[in-house]
Amino acid sequence: MVKIKKNIAISDSGFVFDPGSGDSYSLNPSGLEIVQLIKSGKDFSAILEAVTEKYEVDSDSFERYYYDFIATLAQLHLTDPDGKE
Amino acid sequence: MTKLDFERPIIQRINAGLPSKYGMSHRLEPLSHIDGTPIKDLIGEFGSPLFVLSESTIRKTYKEAHRAFSSRYPNVKFAWSYKTNYLNAVCNVFHQEGAWAEVVSGFEYDKAIANGVPGELILFNGPDKSTEDLQKAIRNNSLIHIDHFDELYEIIHLSKEMTERPKVAIRVNMDTGIYPKWDRFGFNYENGEAWDALNRIMANKNLDLMGLHTHIGTYMMSVEAYRIAAGKLADLAIKLERKHGHVLKYIDMGGGFASKNTLRGAYYPGTDTAPSFDDFAEAITSVLMSSDIKPDHLPMLILETGRAMIDDAGYLVGTVIANKRLADGRRATILDAGVNLLFTAFWYEHDVRPVQPVSDQTEDTTLYGPLCMNIDVIRGNVMFPLLKKGDQYVIKRVGAYNNTQWMQFITLRPNVVMLDSKGNPHLIRKREVLETINSQEVMPEHLKQFKL
Repeated sequence: MVKIKKNIAISDSGFVFDPGSGDSYSLNPSGLEIVQLIKSGKDFSAILEAVTEKYEVDSDSFERYYYDFIATLAQLHLTDPDGKE
Repeated sequence: MTKLDFERPIIQRINAGLPSKYGMSHRLEPLSHIDGTPIKDLIGEFGSPLFVLSESTIRKTYKEAHRAFSSRYPNVKFAWSYKTNYLNAVCNVFHQEGAWAEVVSGFEYDKAIANGVPGELILFNGPDKSTEDLQKAIRNNSLIHIDHFDELYEIIHLSKEMTERPKVAIRVNMDTGIYPKWDRFGFNYENGEAWDALNRIMANKNLDLMGLHTHIGTYMMSVEAYRIAAGKLADLAIKLERKHGHVLKYIDMGGGFASKNTLRGAYYPGTDTAPSFDDFAEAITSVLMSSDIKPDHLPMLILETGRAMIDDAGYLVGTVIANKRLADGRRATILDAGVNLLFTAFWYEHDVRPVQPVSDQTEDTTLYGPLCMNIDVIRGNVMFPLLKKGDQYVIKRVGAYNNTQWMQFITLRPNVVMLDSKGNPHLIRKREVLETINSQEVMPEHLKQFKL
């Protein structure tokens, strides 16, 4: 399961700060929602269910966007390298 | 309960650079209609990708250019530069507006004749005119713009064999203070070659010297260069009258006016930097009007501007094929039109817009075409909205050079439509099919069969 690094600060408005690198980031609303679901300990299937219930998106498309998003988080070193999906 | 619209999740690094008062908005306003016609419907009817040309924009631009010059100079004529866009429907819009034809090859010459342009209203430029081309042009009383001495002597030779008198002008190249200096076409002004050529034409009793021509460059952003060029051509006209008592019928200032497209690497967008038709007109006509040419001998002023006349009227619309992530984390969006159709992507930062409304979110994106070639890049780095597979896009200002320099490479060329003044689409060039290409090929008998 993907885990966001513990020291990453995430505000309610989608502002992200990485104290390790000093870099800051901004999430769009759907990005913020997914990060919050990940932080709450949900795995992919639970996130998929939550998102498809609320939004107009099919599961195939969401899967594509989700893994692309997770890859970006990993590239920015915001996820825990030990956490696996 | 209706579900909410979903947007792709993204995260972006916040780069706090130096604040700039010139900072430009990243928001790309969607463009859903061209001349009131929905792009979605055009793609639905004619396929994707699709070139769309706006007849009303062509006419509006022509009138604007014509007004800029004719309000400042008594005798102005435009000649449509065929190489910029020689789709027959486009040429005929210009001819309906009153433009003559300017051609640079036998092929373009024949195209103009086939469109119904009278021979005497065709300006024949270019370094490559075959003997047959020259014979045809002489027979039709076309205006031949001589590029080099070999051509001049061939015309002199032909004039002895033919009954018609060749109507000629020379092309003059010169230093107008710009870099690079275009000195490969025509006769040089500074070293006296142009004057020498004019004297040789005047000494020959079989040729009618009609005018002088120059074409100083392309995508010219300085009107000063035109001021210098017009001054030098006016000097030659005055010398001709003084020495030979010969009054020229016209001075042709060529084309090369910049369009509003943005050159790659330019700091400011072309919409802010390209001089207007009024700027070019003021520079050229003020020099001619204040020259020593006698007022009743002022020659006709001919303009051959192509790019600035047609660029705005062309759109390339299409569909997103896919999104992917590059090795450095940047986003790549693959479009169904590449450099095979959009040759000008090599030198412009084209204005690419989404067709459907999008959110304010943008991402640093590279826009690729569909070709299996590394060079197939439409935009290297652009803050672009999050388009999904199947979403539509539109590329603005593609009317110049793309319908003539496009390549039949890897894939076939698509339909081209023109929207009339009411916004109704007319198919003006059919999409290519396998047969279009194969019909030109011939298979040797011994290669017809194979066994695998």
